[in-house]
Amino acid sequence: MAHQAHAYHMVDPSPWPLTGAISALLMTSGLATWFVYKTTTLLFLGTTLLLLTMFQWWRLIIRESTFQGHHTTPVQKGLRYGMVLFITSEVFFFIGFFWAFYHSSLAPAIELGGLWPPTGITPLDPFEVPLLNTAVPLASGVTVTWAHHSIMEGARKPALQSLTLTVLLGLYFTALQAMEYYEAPFTLADGVYGCTFFVATGFHGLHVIIGTTFSMVCLLPHTHYHFTSNHHFGFDAAAWYWHFVAVVWLFLYISIYWWGS
Amino acid sequence: MAARLLLRSAFRAATTCRAVPVPALTRGVTTGGIPTDEEQATGLEKQVLKSMKEGKDPYSILKPKEYAGTKDDPHLVPSVTNKRIVGCVCEEDNTAVIWFWLHEGEAQRCPSCGSHYKLVPHELPH
Repeated sequence: MAHQAHAYHMVDPSPWPLTGAISALLMTSGLATWFVYKTTTLLFLGTTLLLLTMFQWWRLIIRESTFQGHHTTPVQKGLRYGMVLFITSEVFFFIGFFWAFYHSSLAPAIELGGLWPPTGITPLDPFEVPLLNTAVPLASGVTVTWAHHSIMEGARKPALQSLTLTVLLGLYFTALQAMEYYEAPFTLADGVYGCTFFVATGFHGLHVIIGTTFSMVCLLPHTHYHFTSNHHFGFDAAAWYWHFVAVVWLFLYISIYWWGS
Repeated sequence: MAARLLLRSAFRAATTCRAVPVPALTRGVTTGGIPTDEEQATGLEKQVLKSMKEGKDPYSILKPKEYAGTKDDPHLVPSVTNKRIVGCVCEEDNTAVIWFWLHEGEAQRCPSCGSHYKLVPHELPH
């Protein structure tokens, strides 16, 4: 037992922040070498190191919190602030891409034909697959809220079912988007339309994959009885992130798919 | 210490998971399968929970109590040893904090505003 007079967690030294930073370096430089030299060694190394870091660091956090009880109320409060600030920073990240989109589309340049969508671009019909892809995150927002309430009420089986459903919906969204990307009549190289479309929806898709993984990882502690009805911050963080991802899609759909078509 | 605790709780977690039918009935049986903090909290979190239930705050999580600072109602300063540093913000919004060591025994007064401070022993659950 720690002989401290405060309720905070003074963490022990660990190598995982360092390996995480190294993997970030390897992945970014690896991406660049892949684009230029078509070699994937650095990228592969970086990704492996990233997976190792994630596994080890989050395993360590579970040990410190669930098994050792270091996550007192003030510690949890700090973690909540951290997650909120992180999601806020991601909101600003997407604001940048929306800014780029509106900058180009509100006053289309003469080279585009003076109109939006630019001449020669056949945009995707917003009332086909994109509309389904809007219903899916909305439904998964419902299922994740259902899961949260189940956990708070101590109902294990419904929580398991609704969390699994959320993950499945997330995977369904990714699959549908992948199919749309494959079938789209325009590419990233098709001027500013293609660029803003694929960069914005592409980063969103990446965040969906991250959110789905986060939720999948929550299933594991849940099946091992780690969560209590009052203390389940890992799940709260995943649910917040998931809602953020769904809201970004709504903005994307309305701006790029609907207004922009 | 922590390693022993981890081993013990990891072993317990692993064995309960393997024998799913029986623990599923006893674990969180009143709430439907998900344990409560009462049943599952451990370590410092459990200490804090237990103390809060008894009305105590050994880890100073809550805001300190307000005192008048007079001779009859001095500021009571808890300490785990026999002295503690006090920082007195004599008037609201003062930017100069008056720092001094408060020793056990008779109440001391802030050298700037004269408020009374008294050291009181503070018990830590071990």
